[in-house]
Amino acid sequence: MKIQQNSFEYKESFHLLNGGSIPGFELVYETYGELNPNKNNAVLVCHAFSGSHRAAGVDKETDKPGWWNEFIGPNKAIDTNKYFVVSPNNLGSCYGSTGPATLNPATKKPFGKDFPLLDVYDWVASQNLLRKSLDIQSWEMVLGGSLGGMQALEWSISFPENIKKAGIIAATSLISSQNIALNQVARDIIRKDINFEDGDYLIANKKPRDGLRVARMLGHITYLSESNFKNRFGRKLQDINNKIDSSINFEVENYLRYQGEKFSEYFDANSYILLTKIMDSFNPAGRYNDNLVDALRHCKAKLLILSFDDDWLFPTEYSKELHFAAIMAGINSSFIELSGNNGHDSFLYANEEYVSAISNFLNHA
Amino acid sequence: MHKNIESQLLKLIPPQSKVLDLGSGNGEFLEKLSKKNISCHGIEIDTKKIIISLAKGVSVTQKDIDKGLKEFCGLGFDFVVMANSIQCLRRPLEALNNIFEIANECAVTIPNFGYWKIRLKLLNGKMPVSSSLPAKWYETKNIHLCTIKDFEDLCADNNITIKKRVYLDADLNPLKSWFTLNSNFFASEAIYHLEKK
Repeated sequence: MKIQQNSFEYKESFHLLNGGSIPGFELVYETYGELNPNKNNAVLVCHAFSGSHRAAGVDKETDKPGWWNEFIGPNKAIDTNKYFVVSPNNLGSCYGSTGPATLNPATKKPFGKDFPLLDVYDWVASQNLLRKSLDIQSWEMVLGGSLGGMQALEWSISFPENIKKAGIIAATSLISSQNIALNQVARDIIRKDINFEDGDYLIANKKPRDGLRVARMLGHITYLSESNFKNRFGRKLQDINNKIDSSINFEVENYLRYQGEKFSEYFDANSYILLTKIMDSFNPAGRYNDNLVDALRHCKAKLLILSFDDDWLFPTEYSKELHFAAIMAGINSSFIELSGNNGHDSFLYANEEYVSAISNFLNHA
Repeated sequence: MHKNIESQLLKLIPPQSKVLDLGSGNGEFLEKLSKKNISCHGIEIDTKKIIISLAKGVSVTQKDIDKGLKEFCGLGFDFVVMANSIQCLRRPLEALNNIFEIANECAVTIPNFGYWKIRLKLLNGKMPVSSSLPAKWYETKNIHLCTIKDFEDLCADNNITIKKRVYLDADLNPLKSWFTLNSNFFASEAIYHLEKK
């Protein structure tokens, strides 16, 4: 599989949906496979909350596979022998695209907490500029899980001429107040970190790692499911030689602590706050008097809406609501609830039904 | 779905209708409808069958018909098809009533339990196994089998108008005229065009 790492630079002022602008931006992205001469085999993959542009292949240095490596590659659900896959890192994130940790050219300091609040629409609009730069008229499909699925939905409403199919997986058109509440706790945990410095920790040369660690631990609990915890850890005690610290008794504690620890090493705290805010305010129907059906009337793409039975973060009901709104709007929309073993994170793991649902949908004429 | 049944159903569907196919299986009938530019959507409970349907480019909702159909009310469907499914439902009458909440017209097909070959098998003291009823009694999904007479009584008792009926022989061709004198004996399947006013 041909993997390319690229960067797209947009040098003009980029105006945001909520008003305001950023003075240009950079999007880092990876591509898998090759664009055919007719440029009609391109698939856009959108990452979820803490994901990156590294969707496929295996990193040679870390040996870490891309977050959707089980789906993208030769003879996989998105077959790179046939399709050219584009996977950008979103604005506001922290893997190389313009975000809070980027230097603001006006102040020569990191944007930090002053990085403007983006909307999912702005992500999609920036991806649309990337599309144009690649001279691709239309994506064969845009897809992603969770926040990635929300981008696929936004694409189908806001750029209907440039997308033929959308895969909206473990996503929703509007997150619940419970979701917002969980995000708010995570944000507060980060802000209360003694090293947060009111968001100016980079300037102070500090890092609110404790806050990030605990926020991630909370998030991680919501990404899995009760049965997943039960099957994976049960009430197993942590091996005494492998404890992160002496206060730990159970394996699950050690696991969560380890995940949080790892995450706090590389993730940017302002990005965490920003991305959760973007998720909270996502509402593609907002520009249509909060009428999702009216919003969806603009859509021309075929939709595949998938949910997982053990996802309690964005449960099946959310997907169904979206699906029926789409049918009401007269759109071709299919809905399947797949069985998952990993809670909300089920969208990351391949199984036979999941893979064939995506490939059958993608490959039909 | 057998092509004879498909072609009979296609005759019943008015042009320009928006069709809902209950129990759409592998999506074959939906594909037929799409090719005729008839707007359509399927409901199917079996994930594997929906996935096969996706390869045909048709759209399907995963749903257990026994759990109600109210989400489909007011979505603009004007014709419902339920082929070879009613006998698998726990509450067939409720499903029929639900269908008429969605659209004014529908087409329903039933395997006729009054068919002479089935009666013969029962006379021999065994539950019938045939091409239209292929599974053994303990494995069959068919839990509400009925005869043509039973089904037509059900319609009469519930103010459901039978606009058209087509009785099919063992090869699923329409019964020759003299056999229609006792269709409940000679027909292996029946197709109904129903309406509720």
